[in-house]
Amino acid sequence: MNEPLLGPFQPPDTSAHMLGPIQKIETPMRHYGEEEVDVCVVGVGSAGGVLLQRLSRAGLRVVGFEAGPFWDTERDWVSDEAGSHRLYWSEMRITCGENAITLGANNSGRGVGGGSVHWAGFTPRFHPSDFRVYSEDGVGADWPISYEQIEPYYEMLEREIPVAGPVYYPWGKPHSYPYGPHPMGGVGDVLIDGCTKLGIPVSVGGPVAIISGAFGDRQHCIYRGFCIQGCKVGAKQSTLISHVPDAIAHGAEIRDNCMVARVELGKNGLVSGVTYFDSEGRERFQRSRMVIVSGYSIETPRLLLNSACPGHENGLANSSDTVGRYLMVQAGNVVMGRFPNLVRMYKAPPAHALTEEFYETDPKRDFARGFAVQTVGPLPIAFAKQMMVAKGAWGWGMRRVMMDYNHWAPLGLLGELLPWADNRVTLADETDRHGLRVARITYTLHENDHKLIAFGRKKVEEILWAAGAEEVTQEPRYAHLIGGARMGADPRESVVDKFGRTHDIPNLFCCDGSIFPTQGSANPGLTIQAMAARVANYIIQQHDLILAGKTAPLDEPPLRRDLSPPNTYTRGLPRFVRELVGRRSYAP
Amino acid sequence: MVRERAGSLPIDPHTGEPLPPRAQPGYYPGFSTLDQKDFWDAATRSVVETRVNQIPPIRFFSHEERELMEAAVARILPQDDRDEEHTVAIVPVIDERLFLGRTDGYRYDDMPPDGEAYRLGLQGIDAIARAMYGEPFVELTPTQQDEVFWTIHRDQPGGGEEIWRQVPADRFWLMLVSDVVDAYYAHPYAWDEIGFGGPSYPRGYFRLENGQAEPWEVDEQRYEWAAPPDALSDRHQQLGGRHPHRAPAGQEGTH
Repeated sequence: MNEPLLGPFQPPDTSAHMLGPIQKIETPMRHYGEEEVDVCVVGVGSAGGVLLQRLSRAGLRVVGFEAGPFWDTERDWVSDEAGSHRLYWSEMRITCGENAITLGANNSGRGVGGGSVHWAGFTPRFHPSDFRVYSEDGVGADWPISYEQIEPYYEMLEREIPVAGPVYYPWGKPHSYPYGPHPMGGVGDVLIDGCTKLGIPVSVGGPVAIISGAFGDRQHCIYRGFCIQGCKVGAKQSTLISHVPDAIAHGAEIRDNCMVARVELGKNGLVSGVTYFDSEGRERFQRSRMVIVSGYSIETPRLLLNSACPGHENGLANSSDTVGRYLMVQAGNVVMGRFPNLVRMYKAPPAHALTEEFYETDPKRDFARGFAVQTVGPLPIAFAKQMMVAKGAWGWGMRRVMMDYNHWAPLGLLGELLPWADNRVTLADETDRHGLRVARITYTLHENDHKLIAFGRKKVEEILWAAGAEEVTQEPRYAHLIGGARMGADPRESVVDKFGRTHDIPNLFCCDGSIFPTQGSANPGLTIQAMAARVANYIIQQHDLILAGKTAPLDEPPLRRDLSPPNTYTRGLPRFVRELVGRRSYAP
Repeated sequence: MVRERAGSLPIDPHTGEPLPPRAQPGYYPGFSTLDQKDFWDAATRSVVETRVNQIPPIRFFSHEERELMEAAVARILPQDDRDEEHTVAIVPVIDERLFLGRTDGYRYDDMPPDGEAYRLGLQGIDAIARAMYGEPFVELTPTQQDEVFWTIHRDQPGGGEEIWRQVPADRFWLMLVSDVVDAYYAHPYAWDEIGFGGPSYPRGYFRLENGQAEPWEVDEQRYEWAAPPDALSDRHQQLGGRHPHRAPAGQEGTH
C-alpha cells in the first residue's frame, strides 16, 4: 500500500512546456521583435488571456506583456502552501485607510494566467440587478450595459472554461452548466445541512471553473484541495491552459517577466506603444497601433497614473479624475464552526457549494444590496492565520486550536461593498526595483458596508449553528478587487466606455476587473473573462477605425462563436433548464 | 535545568503529571505525510525535502537579535512537547525571508519595511521586558515572557513607547505571529500533528465526506492535555483594543 503501483511519480516530459500533466504547448511562439504590432495587451491574466486569444484568432498581430513568469506547471507549481508564494504579486504596495486591505496572496496574481491561476474557481454570473444598482437602489452606479448584453458571453465562456455546476441554477437569471456538479466535501455537507434546516436553497457541486470529467488534453479534478496554489492537475481553468495555448497557435506573442513602465503617447495624441523592462531589466519600447491595459484594479490605475505626460499631467485617460477611484473589495469574512465530528476541510476543491439567496436588496433589511455564502477550504497556514485574527490565538492556544484543524468547517461570506470615490489607488513616493512609483491603496468602509457585513456575518453564523456547530468564530476579510478605472456613459465620471475604450484616447483601452462600476456578490472571474470576450469582439469588428486612431461607433458587435477555442461552443447543455426558466427557486 | 524543562511541559490534567516530549504530538499517532512522498510529484517532493533537510543559515539577525528571536518564538509557538529531533526550525526561516527581502506584496503605510520593523520590534520587546521586570527579555521566566506578549497582543505594550511609535505594536505582532505560523505549519511534522493530508498530486483524495480517512491516513485518537503550568498562552483573546478601526483583516485568499 505504501508503494505507488507504477513507481515514484515522474514529470511527464521534461523537454516540453507542460500546462498540466498531459497538456503541452505544441506550437513554437512567434516573435515580433521591435516591428510595430497591432495590439499590446498589458497583463496576461483572466482578461488578457482571453483578449490575446480572440484578437490573434481574428488575425491581429498581438503581443502580451506579463510582469511574472510563463509557468510550466509541472516544474514551477507545487502541491504545497508555503511553496506557492511565487503565484502572488509580491512587489511592494502601500496599504492604508481605516480598513486597510491586504493584498498579495489575498487577491493579487502574477505570472501568465494572473488571478485565474490562484482563484478558487467559483464562477457565478452577476445578476441582472447588478447592472442597474443606482436605478434600483439609489446607491453605487449603473453599468453602461445590461445583463442581456453580456449574457451571450457568459454562455460562451461557461463552455470555454468549461464550468461544472447544477443542471438548474435558480438565482439571477436561471441557467444551466455544461459539466455535471462535483461530489461534496465535508464543508459543503455542513453548508447544505445548515441551510436545509433554515429553509435556504443551496447550489451543490458548482458552479466552478473545475472540470468534473476530462476535456481534451485536460484531466478531471482529483479533489486534492490545492486550488488556490495553482492547479497542477489541469482541472481548474486558468487562461494559461484554456486560452493562451490557442493564442500562441494563432500567432500571439507573450513576453513574460516584462514589466510595462509607461504607455507612450505620440505627437498626434494617440497611443504609440509601451515602454517596458524586459526579463533582463533593460528598458525597451514596443511600437503598437493600440494598447489594452489589463493589469487589474491596482496595476491598471498605477500604469495609467505612471504614464502622465505633457497634456496628461494627472495620468493618461484621467481627464475625469476617476482613474484609481471607486476601488472596491468584496466582504470576504470567513466564518468558522467547530464540529464534534471530523470534517477534514482540506479535501475537495475549496469552492464546491454556495447560496445566493441573500444576493439582492431586501427592503426588510436596513442596507442596500446583499451577499452570497460559499464554501472555503483553507490549508493549515491560512487556517492558522485565520485563527490568529479570529480568536487571537498564539502560543499554546494556537497549538491547541490547530490540533482541531480537522474539526472546523469554514464558510465564506461574499458581500457587495459599494463604490466610493475616496477608496482609491494613488502613487506613493516609494519606487520599485525599476524606479517606478508603487501603488498606494486607501480603503475605508462606509455605513452601508458595515451594516451589510454585520448582517451577512450573522446569517453565516446562523447557518453554522443550525448545522450543529459547537463553537463559531469569524475573521474579517476583504476579498476580490474591483474598480479603479470604471466604465460609464458619462466621460466626466468614468474612465472607459462600455467597450473598454478610454474616453480620452481612442486607441487606448482598459479591460479587466478595474472597469466594473459595481461588483455584485459574485466572484468576478467569470465576468472578467466574459467582458474580455465582448471587448475583443468590438475591437475586431471596428479594428480598421481603432487601429487608424479614429473614434469608432459604439455599435453592439456580432457574436463570433468561430473565435472560441476549439471544441467549446458546440458543447451541450441539459435541456431540462428550458422548462424551468423563470422559476426562481427550487420550491414547488 | 531539568526542573525548568518540567515546568514547561504540558501536563495530564487528571494527574497533574508532565507529559513527556514525544516525536509526534497531536491526535493522529503514526500518521506520516513524509512516508507518502513517493506518491508526490517531483517538484513538490524537492520543495518539501529541502525544507526538512536544509535549514537556512542565519544571515539577517545579529547574534543578539537571534537569541531574542529564539526566546520569543519559543513562547509564540512553543514546542516543548516535541523531542529535540522533531522540533521545527522557525527563526532561520524568518531570517531567510528578511535576508532575501521577500514580502507579502504590501506594507501598511504606518509600518517601516519588514526588516527594519523586525529590528525595531525586537528592541521594543526588550524594552517592555526591562520596563516590567528590569531584565532583558531572554533572562525572564516563561511566565514573564508570556506577560510581555500579552501587553503587545492587547496593543498596550508595557514599555518602549518611543519604539512602538515607529513600529505600531499591533501591526508588528500580526507580522511576527504570521511569520511564525508560516514556518511551523509549512513543516510535515506539523501536518502530521494536525492530521492534514499534505501534498496530494497526482494521487488525489477519494474519501471526501464525513471526515473519513484515506487508506494512508489515520483516524483521530484524542487525549487530554493542559498547557505547561508556567505558560499563559493557552487561551484566546481578541486582538488589539486601542485601535478598533484598525481591526486586522485576513491575509490569505480563500474564495
